[in-house]
Amino acid sequence: MKSRVIVITSGKGGVGKTTTTANLGTALAMMGKKVVMIDTDIGLRNLDVVMGLENRIVFDIVDAVNGHCKLKQALIKDKRFDGLYLLPAAQTKDKTAVSPHQMKNMTNELRKDFDFILVDCPAGIEQGFKNAIAGADKAVVVATPEVSSVRDADRIIGLLEAAGLTETKLIINRIRSKMVKRGDMMDISDINDILAIELLGVVPEDEAIVVSTNRGEPAVLENISRAGAAYRRIARRLNGEEVPMYSLDDPENIMDKFKKMLKLAR
Amino acid sequence: MSTAIKQASGGMLIDLKAYHTFAQMKKGLEKKLTSVADLPIGSKVSIDIGEKILSNKQVRELEDTLLDYGMHLEELMSGRLPDVEEDLDEEPVIEGMTHYDDTALICKHIRSGQKRFVQGNIVVLGDINPGAEVVAGGNILVMGSLRGLAHAGVFGDEGAIIAAYRLNPTQLRIATHITRPPDGERNAVDYPEVARIREGRVIIEKLKI
Repeated sequence: MKSRVIVITSGKGGVGKTTTTANLGTALAMMGKKVVMIDTDIGLRNLDVVMGLENRIVFDIVDAVNGHCKLKQALIKDKRFDGLYLLPAAQTKDKTAVSPHQMKNMTNELRKDFDFILVDCPAGIEQGFKNAIAGADKAVVVATPEVSSVRDADRIIGLLEAAGLTETKLIINRIRSKMVKRGDMMDISDINDILAIELLGVVPEDEAIVVSTNRGEPAVLENISRAGAAYRRIARRLNGEEVPMYSLDDPENIMDKFKKMLKLAR
Repeated sequence: MSTAIKQASGGMLIDLKAYHTFAQMKKGLEKKLTSVADLPIGSKVSIDIGEKILSNKQVRELEDTLLDYGMHLEELMSGRLPDVEEDLDEEPVIEGMTHYDDTALICKHIRSGQKRFVQGNIVVLGDINPGAEVVAGGNILVMGSLRGLAHAGVFGDEGAIIAAYRLNPTQLRIATHITRPPDGERNAVDYPEVARIREGRVIIEKLKI
């Protein structure tokens, strides 16, 4: 299989780029793929924390591109999956420590050994963004159902198009079905109307994400997490499988079923 | 077929009497101009079309052809005067609209942070999203949703219009007039609308053509 370099971006901060990268990377590795996740948020690195690999960092992306170490030395092998690696960002440098040209060379080198190269993009549209998209052949935009997030996603899609990345796909993150039903939150079609790009998946709001992020265990590892299940389906779509879209309806719990039965009986 | 070319007093005379159709006429003119390409730029040219009648649009086409070779049309010699009825197809679609020679067709969504400027008209086959700007010397036509900012008649044409399949702009500007939708209320309509200046105010109405 031809290896793919996919950048995960959003423009706005805090919408779940890093969580998405960690979960998709882990889910793809669970499917037996060879995956490397690159954290390009130099100066504000997070992906290592979310993956629970912070204490294993010796070399980072800046060391690798500047030749202080070999690229393979900077890759951290995941503690759970054999085919999963992380290239951490540097924490003591800034975004200018890497150039788009260097990023391109590095991702091309990684193509030899990996099926998927997931690039976690920093927030913003400056140097960090330009670095992150430099070597990518596809882009995934993460947006939450908020006007400001959708606005930024729209700006990012325009910038990606200008950079030649036209097949951008969308992940809608942290949707709350109850709020959408009440009409208090933008729904999927509202967002689609504005952004008009292919929908890759919808991830429901899930408190389990906070817990798993804090513990350094991606939610896809837990069977009960709804967000984790959504990420597993998105990973299969990234791999080219046809997977039906997530239904917005909450799964009925026993209490709901019981209430319904009571209503019917009455 | 031969095209006669004579050096008339002060300019050049091209004889296109022998051609029957306009297309042939235009081709003959082009052929002739290519053969005399070393004529000084800015030369004045008279064209003799004999008994034929040309519409204003066709005359303009001949003028454009000449301009491509750096020449101006001095006189169009014709045995007959053009019929006034010929000009019917030149009527503007909407009354009071200025004619613009260049119209840009944009077949994509214009997204936040993107800006398009055209001297003449703009036709967008797509949406204009919030945060995007479209500025035209002439009119703006959006075959999608206009949610961003549109400025028509930027050089002061008060007759310019902004029409959209769905008109929900953040702001509309026509010539020097600036308007925005009223705060709070939002009555969504499901038909195309047009914005224009009437009695010094920008008004929005259902698009009827």
